[in-house]
Amino acid sequence: MTMRGMLPFGNSRRLDDNQPSSRGRHANPDAGFPPGEAAPNPAPVGAPPSAAVGDRWAPIVVDEPIFDFEPKPPTSRSYRPDTVFDGWSTGDFTVRMASVRGYSHRYSGTPRQDAAEIAFHPETGAVIFAVADGVSSARESHLGAARACEMAVIVLRHQLSSPHGRADFTEMVQVAAAGMVRQAAHILRQKRPDPAAVEARFGTTLVAGYIFPEAGGAAASMIQIGDSSAWVLRGGRYLPVLDQKLDPHAEVISSGVSPLPRIPASVSPINLSLAPGEVLLIGTDGFGDPLGDGDGKVGQLFAGHLTTPPSGRALAHLLDFSRETFDDDRTLVAVWQQRRETGERA
Amino acid sequence: MADNRGHLLPVYVLADESYSMAPYAEELNSGMVSLHEALRSEPMVAAKVRLSVLGFSNDVSVRMALADLRSEEALPLLRIGGVTNYQAAFKDLLTRIPQDIATLKRDGYMVHRPAVFFLSDGQPNNSKWRKPHGRLTDKSVTPAAPNIIACGVGEVEAGTILQVATRQDFAFVSVAGADIGTSIAKFFIALTSSVVQSGRSLTSPHPELVVEKPEGFTMAIDVV
Repeated sequence: MTMRGMLPFGNSRRLDDNQPSSRGRHANPDAGFPPGEAAPNPAPVGAPPSAAVGDRWAPIVVDEPIFDFEPKPPTSRSYRPDTVFDGWSTGDFTVRMASVRGYSHRYSGTPRQDAAEIAFHPETGAVIFAVADGVSSARESHLGAARACEMAVIVLRHQLSSPHGRADFTEMVQVAAAGMVRQAAHILRQKRPDPAAVEARFGTTLVAGYIFPEAGGAAASMIQIGDSSAWVLRGGRYLPVLDQKLDPHAEVISSGVSPLPRIPASVSPINLSLAPGEVLLIGTDGFGDPLGDGDGKVGQLFAGHLTTPPSGRALAHLLDFSRETFDDDRTLVAVWQQRRETGERA
Repeated sequence: MADNRGHLLPVYVLADESYSMAPYAEELNSGMVSLHEALRSEPMVAAKVRLSVLGFSNDVSVRMALADLRSEEALPLLRIGGVTNYQAAFKDLLTRIPQDIATLKRDGYMVHRPAVFFLSDGQPNNSKWRKPHGRLTDKSVTPAAPNIIACGVGEVEAGTILQVATRQDFAFVSVAGADIGTSIAKFFIALTSSVVQSGRSLTSPHPELVVEKPEGFTMAIDVV
């Protein structure tokens, strides 16, 4: 019998000391991002991963790294790659997305439970995004997370294309939840699976919304279910725009989420305006927890590399930093505004 | 806020070292060894746990304080002697836990509510323990009031164990007539599993204290 109670409760470049690490595949700290995105130095064929001396793609070390090990294959009914990244620019925005499997999931053979999607809506110039973090105790939450993102983006794209051109986030959440239940029905071979059972097996957080150009900057609307979050990066400072999972000043941590497909009593979108130069970040807690309030080494690392858009693969590399105790999946969507004259679309 | 170095779960093993435990010293210490080995084989979990081992009898002996088990060669031995003084045990935690939390936070960690695994084979020598226990578990007095998982073996009464535990489902007693040495070994197995599972959940969206019932134990509420 097991009782559960709320706990109100490597291979890399060092950020802090700028000294080459002697551990495994840890990369040369002087390397920075690979110049011109050059191909990484391959390890000798048949050599263990730690033999890849000078591996410039080795994770960046922040403070104390997680020990070096070779990941186990994920046990999943469908293909779930370790890392995905994407990126493109529209006339108004440059968008990057990356999602990397956490060190603990690599170690245990669990699939990446984070998911993300980005899409462009040409008629409005909006960039649509969805980021989800499957509940770790839910055995197939990676499927739930992927489905929630997929449905959220489909619905938002459809709504923005409709005659009224507005997003209805309540409908979006309902459709995303229904999509998860339909997926569960198919997998479980049950016509009407018990919602609690779907949540226990496929439950996921979700932040989804869109950013669109407006005079003098950009505007964004999004909803938050669970503890994935969003920030505005301005001048090296991170301004949280959604509820934060952790209160850094609390005596001890208190945390809890109500994941999809459970639908919250009310779905209230957050609306915000971004001034030129401000960067919108949407991420799972695998990014948010090590970021904290942004003043620490992880905050410095990202602030330093996100002043201008890195490539998608560079964002994935950045996101895969190694720092002990931070071993969750990490996902980040970042949106930069294109420089343009005030009041004009680029 | 200083740099954010991640989440930690402080775990306290509060073990009865009174004379009545003398026949089971070997089981106590082999339990400690297995706990150590299990956590060393889970380095990512061990990184998120800080273990303190406290023995109590007449007084409290600190066998290990806020240890990172990845860097400990061996766990300390428990030493038998004295009477079963619950009061000393809870008085010690009443000051120790807030100090430990402050230390960890000063070092840049976010700290989960501590978990205390309490093991005793005997009734307390007096009832004075209730006051420090009450203050320790009252969140208005001790904001970092721990979750206490209490396990009783041998002569300890189920009612006492229920009072020590912070939740009814955190109170266990070995079944009547069970071999005490075996029960102590099972306690450590459940303790290890609970710590590993709780440690794994720390950075999840839904962190939780996972408490495994020791095999051969029953919930104390079912006995009283």
